[in-house]
Amino acid sequence: MKRRYIIRRAGRSLKQAKARTLLTSLAIAVGAFTLTIAIAAGEGSRQYADKLIGSNVNPKALFIVKDKTIFEGGQNQSGLQEYDPDSTTIQGGQATIKQLTQKDIEKLESRDDIEDVRPRYQLSIEYLSVEDSDKKFTADVSQYDSTIRNETSTGSLPELGVSIDDDELVMPESFAGTLVKSKVIQKKADIVGKKITLTVTKPTRQPTEEEIRKALLSGGGVDAIRALTETESKQVSLTVRALTKESSTSLSFTSAIQISPAKAQDLFDYTTEGTDQYRKYIAVTALAVEGNDPVDVKEALKKDGYPSQTAEDLQNLLFTIVNILQGIVAGFGVLALIASVFGIINTQYISVLERTQQIGLMKALGAHNKDVAKLFRYEAAWIGFLGGVIGSMIALVSGVALNPWITEQLDLGEGNHLLVFEPLPIVSLIVGLMIIAVVAGYFPSRKAAKLDPIEALRTE
Amino acid sequence: MIEVRGVTKTYGKKNNVFTALSDVNFSIPDGASVAIVGKSGSGKSTLMHAMSGLDRPQTGEVIIDGQDILKLKSKEVDRFRSRKMSFIFQSFFVEANETCYNNVGMVCEIAGVPANEHRRKIEKALEAVELLDKKKSRARDLSGGQKQRLAIARAIVNNPTTLFADEPTGNLDSSTGEIIENLLFRYNKEKGVTLIIVTHDDDLASRCDINIQIRDGRIVSINEKKPKKESALKKKKVAKK
Repeated sequence: MKRRYIIRRAGRSLKQAKARTLLTSLAIAVGAFTLTIAIAAGEGSRQYADKLIGSNVNPKALFIVKDKTIFEGGQNQSGLQEYDPDSTTIQGGQATIKQLTQKDIEKLESRDDIEDVRPRYQLSIEYLSVEDSDKKFTADVSQYDSTIRNETSTGSLPELGVSIDDDELVMPESFAGTLVKSKVIQKKADIVGKKITLTVTKPTRQPTEEEIRKALLSGGGVDAIRALTETESKQVSLTVRALTKESSTSLSFTSAIQISPAKAQDLFDYTTEGTDQYRKYIAVTALAVEGNDPVDVKEALKKDGYPSQTAEDLQNLLFTIVNILQGIVAGFGVLALIASVFGIINTQYISVLERTQQIGLMKALGAHNKDVAKLFRYEAAWIGFLGGVIGSMIALVSGVALNPWITEQLDLGEGNHLLVFEPLPIVSLIVGLMIIAVVAGYFPSRKAAKLDPIEALRTE
Repeated sequence: MIEVRGVTKTYGKKNNVFTALSDVNFSIPDGASVAIVGKSGSGKSTLMHAMSGLDRPQTGEVIIDGQDILKLKSKEVDRFRSRKMSFIFQSFFVEANETCYNNVGMVCEIAGVPANEHRRKIEKALEAVELLDKKKSRARDLSGGQKQRLAIARAIVNNPTTLFADEPTGNLDSSTGEIIENLLFRYNKEKGVTLIIVTHDDDLASRCDINIQIRDGRIVSINEKKPKKESALKKKKVAKK
C-alpha cells in the first residue's frame, strides 16, 4: 500500500474520532507549549546576551590577572597560605589576592601576541568640585575603557579603541542629575564642557628619622614635624566631555567618573606612592594582536602564569546561566511529554480494539501486516503533529502577545524580547514530537499487525 | 482452476486436538459457482479460509492457477489475494464512517491500482451495484441490502478471478437477499468469475453449479449440476458472436 494512501487513511480515521484525537494531542500540546517557550526564552536570552556583549565588548579584549581566584569570585581563599609580598588583602580582609607587579606589566608588554596592556587602577578621590561652585561631592573614579562602548546622552565619545584625552572626563548622566538637584547647574547638559576638579590625597606615612632630624634642625619645632605627617593632597582639573547614558544593553555601565588611563595612572601612583600598593595591580586589560585568536592568546598567557578571560568567556558565563534556566523549563516540558506518551499508547490500544474488524478486512483484502502497522503508526504521528502544532502555536501567540509586557517588566530595553521564536526549532520540535508519537504508537501498531484476520472477521 | 488436495487443519495441542478439516480433496473449474454447504462448526468457513490463504492448514495443497498458495510467503499470499480474490461477508464489514467511494477505493489502494484508474474503476463498480448516486454517502447511512451491494462493489472493483461469499444473505430479508444473490450470479456468469459461496441455505446452494456438502471436517458429497438452460442459452450467445 502506498504511503500516501496510508497517511490519508490515518488522517480520516482520526477525523472520525475528533474528540479523542484532540484530547490525546492536547496532552502533547502541553509539552510542546512548555518546550517551545523554553526554546524561545533560551533563544531570546542568548540573543540578548549576544547583543549585550557584541555591542559593548571588543571581542579581542582580554582581562588578565595574576590570581585565578578572582574569576572564581574569591572562593577557596580561607586557610593557611604562603606569604607573598605581592599579595594584597582586599574587601575587608575577605580574600588575599596575588597582584600583578610592574615586572609583570613589563613582561606582558614585551609579548608580541598582545598589545595595549593597561593596568586597572584602583582609584579613590577625596572629593570633587565643579567650577564656579564650592559644593563638594564624592564619587567613584575609574579609568576610561576604550574597548567598551558607552552610550552617551550629551557629548560624544571617541571611536572604539581610542581613549579620551588626559584633560577630559566622562560622567554618568545620573551624576549630572544630582548636580542639577544640588543647584550647581541648571540642566544636565550644562555640565558638558565645564571643568571638574578632583582632589586626591596621599596617605599619611611614617616620617623617616632623617626627615625628623631635618625638620628639627630647620628650627620649625613641633609644627615642622607635624607638617611631615600631614596629609598631602593634589588637585587635577578636567573638562567634562560627555555624559554616559544608562542603557539596558550597556553591560558595562559604570556609575563612576571615567578619566583617561594616563591620568588614572598618574593619580594612582600619587595616592599609592610609599605604600605597599604602589605599582601593583589586580588586573590588566590588553588586546589580542590582529591575527591572534583571543582563545589561543588566553592559553599562551595561562601557560606563562597569567590567567585571563576573553569576551567569549564572559559570553559563556552568561550562557551558562541561560542554559540552566532553559534546562529547568525544558525539564517540565519533557515530563509533560512522557505523560502524553502513555496517553498515546492508551488511545491507540483502544483504537486497535475498536477497529478489529477494519484491520481484519484490510488483511483479508490483501493488505500486508506492515501496512496495518504503518496505518496505526501514522495515526500516532498525526496526533504528534497536531499536538506539536497546537502547543507551539499557543506558545507563539501568547509569547508574541506577552513579549512587550515581559520586556517592560524585566526592563530589557526597547526592541529586545525575552521570547524569540525561530521557525527552525519549532519545526524540529514538531518533527521530534511526531517521532516520539510514532515510538509511542509502536506497541499498539504491533498488536494491530499481529491480529489474526480470521479471528477479527468472526461474526458473533 | 482451483484444486484442493489432502488439506487437513487441526486446532489445539496434543491432548486436546480438534480436527477442523480432514483430508479434503476437490477441484473447481474456472467460472463455476460453488456452494460449500454444512452446519455451523462443520468446517466450511475454515475451508474457505484455507482456500483463500487466510489460514494455513498443517498439510495439503491449494493450487490456484497452477500455484500452490500454501507454499507462498505471507506477503506473496497477500498480494495474490489482493489481485485475484475478494470477499463478501455475512455482516457486510463495510467501513461505516467512510464514504461509499472510499470503501470501494480501499481495494484499489491495497492492490496498488495506479492512481489515475481509481476513479473510473470505483465508479464502474458502484454503477454495477446501482449505488453510484450514493458515492458520497457514508456507509453507515445505507440500509442492510445497500451495504451488501456496497460490499459487492468493493469485491468486484479490481476484477478478481475468485469471489468468496460467506453467508452473503444471512443478515438480509429474503427479497433483499434475492437481489444480492442475483447480483452475485449475474457477475459469476457475465465475467466468468469463480463464485464460492459458504452457506447453510439450501435454496441458495441449489442455484450453484457445484454443491460441496461438508460435515465434521469431511466432505460428504460433491454434486455437480448438469448445465441448465441458462448456460445453454449463454453458449448460444457466445456462438452467435
